[in-house]
Amino acid sequence: MTWVVWRQQRTLFLTLAIGLVVGVVTVLVLRAGSMADLTTRGLLGCVGKGIYECRVPAAAEFQLAWFEKMHIAAVTVLAAPLLIGVFVGAPLFAREYEHGTHALAFTQSVSRTRWMVAKFVVTAVPALTAVVVWQVVVHSWMDAVGNLGPLGLGPFYGTIFDGRSVSPVAYTLFAFTLGMLAGAVFKRTVVAMTVTLGLYVVVRAVALQTREHLLAPTRVISDEVVGAQVERGPLYVASGYLDAKGQVVADPAPLMNCVGREDAQGVVDTAACFRENGLAQRFSDVIPVEQATTLHLVEGSIFVGCAVLFVLGTAWAVRRQT
Amino acid sequence: MNASPVRAENVAKHFGRTRAVDECSFALPEGSVTGLVGPNGAGKSTLLSLIGGLARPTHGEITVHGTPVRGRMHPDVSLLTQQRPLYDQFTVRELMRAGAAMNDRWSAERADEVLDLLAGVEKDAKVRTLSAGARTQVAIAMALGRLPKVLLLDEPMADLDPLARDETLRIVMTEVAERGTTVLLSSHLLTDLGDVCDHLLLLDEGRVQLCGDIDEVLDEHLVVVGPADQDLERDGVVDSSRTSRQVTALVRGGSVPAGWETTRPDLEALVLGYLRASRTRRRVRAQ
Repeated sequence: MTWVVWRQQRTLFLTLAIGLVVGVVTVLVLRAGSMADLTTRGLLGCVGKGIYECRVPAAAEFQLAWFEKMHIAAVTVLAAPLLIGVFVGAPLFAREYEHGTHALAFTQSVSRTRWMVAKFVVTAVPALTAVVVWQVVVHSWMDAVGNLGPLGLGPFYGTIFDGRSVSPVAYTLFAFTLGMLAGAVFKRTVVAMTVTLGLYVVVRAVALQTREHLLAPTRVISDEVVGAQVERGPLYVASGYLDAKGQVVADPAPLMNCVGREDAQGVVDTAACFRENGLAQRFSDVIPVEQATTLHLVEGSIFVGCAVLFVLGTAWAVRRQT
Repeated sequence: MNASPVRAENVAKHFGRTRAVDECSFALPEGSVTGLVGPNGAGKSTLLSLIGGLARPTHGEITVHGTPVRGRMHPDVSLLTQQRPLYDQFTVRELMRAGAAMNDRWSAERADEVLDLLAGVEKDAKVRTLSAGARTQVAIAMALGRLPKVLLLDEPMADLDPLARDETLRIVMTEVAERGTTVLLSSHLLTDLGDVCDHLLLLDEGRVQLCGDIDEVLDEHLVVVGPADQDLERDGVVDSSRTSRQVTALVRGGSVPAGWETTRPDLEALVLGYLRASRTRRRVRAQ
């Protein structure tokens, strides 16, 4: 059965392999170019520091030359699961039903479940491998450039977070099995592709907006009630003011009392005004950088959990008889 | 009693309000070649896919050698569906390898034997490049490689030129002669059926109209011809047609009024009579 599926998907695997090789070679060439540039500009010491601590013009010039390219590479890691879901997962069963070749398999003695599992495993493993290789290659480039590249945006920055750790694999499993299920249910390739595309984009957009609620945040309290406080890195869940007893001030009135109340000289001591109005401290609820991996695992396990359900759903759809 | 290769008991298959197969009961004798005939939409393909386990009956049960068919192909059954689904991008050789991989019981020799029959099929040719006749031959090789005891063929001769049609029938007949396979084949080609079939299963609107040994069935029927001014008011008239001079009718069983000319129908006349009657019934209902 493995051989049959492999033979059926041979062209697809070949396309995938060629695409991957071209991509990897491109990234390796770009990586070498950016590393040479770093050395030429004498920026190797800045890699661990980032643009804010390493305020030299050469760093800015380097970023101007490379940042966008690297960010595009990071985005391709995000696009990979969607492409796999739409172009590999969705047609997996839909094309069989469309061409009627499911009947060929169903009229042999292999059971429908075994057929479905073989098709899933034999196709999903190369697809996942391709995504992982691509992720590793792109991120080796990002790691090499360090904080001068997109990694300087912090581990929770959307395009960075989604392309690191277990996330790409979890998203790929999700997209692939979603496409597979849509294909087995709708039995039309174009419909399955459209459904996969739409649902995947919606689910990922929702995940992007809600992932900060997956972990209990850490509260960071500061006595400085005014001034810039946002630090790059952690994921901000909420922020606000605390009163003298350490309770969150929910009523915005004290804050409003101090805004736009300049005296005759046009200056106001906002900090003093805040304190007079009972705003003693400022707090931020954040998910610290150290918890990035935990968040990856928690979010990833939700996506993989959905993928398991989709596989069971596909088995049900394939076994169901009309 | 249950040893019949294929037995259907009150089998029905409904698609929404359409009754594709309705209360079908029949049993095929071991080693028989049964022609499955009926008008378009009579439920022939549905019945074959029910026996093959591609679809599940709404109610009733089909057994193959006493084992109920439930949701998967019975190991002793091979089904050649009308669309001849094959992996188009495979070569013939690769397709046979796939057949071996997907079956617990597979005879590469038997499949090759079928491929080598007649003009022979080029084994390194891609399946999509094959002619309709060669494609059917490959599909039959796939079906026979499983060494079936029951062979179900849905329109095996459709789209074939007369030579390929004749040769396809020869492959099937050789199989029956050599291995005693029970065959159920649907076809619109009545003359071809007459050559190969010993049994007949006539379906109309999902119901069994006739089932049995062709000779016995023909013996039960008469074609009667009588004067146009006489009415043939009796039971058993399957179908009748009238010209200005005479009435011709196909009747089942019983006696015939004196003075009417009677002949035993041939298979073609019998089936045509039933098909015409079916169309008339439908037309009457539509009015």
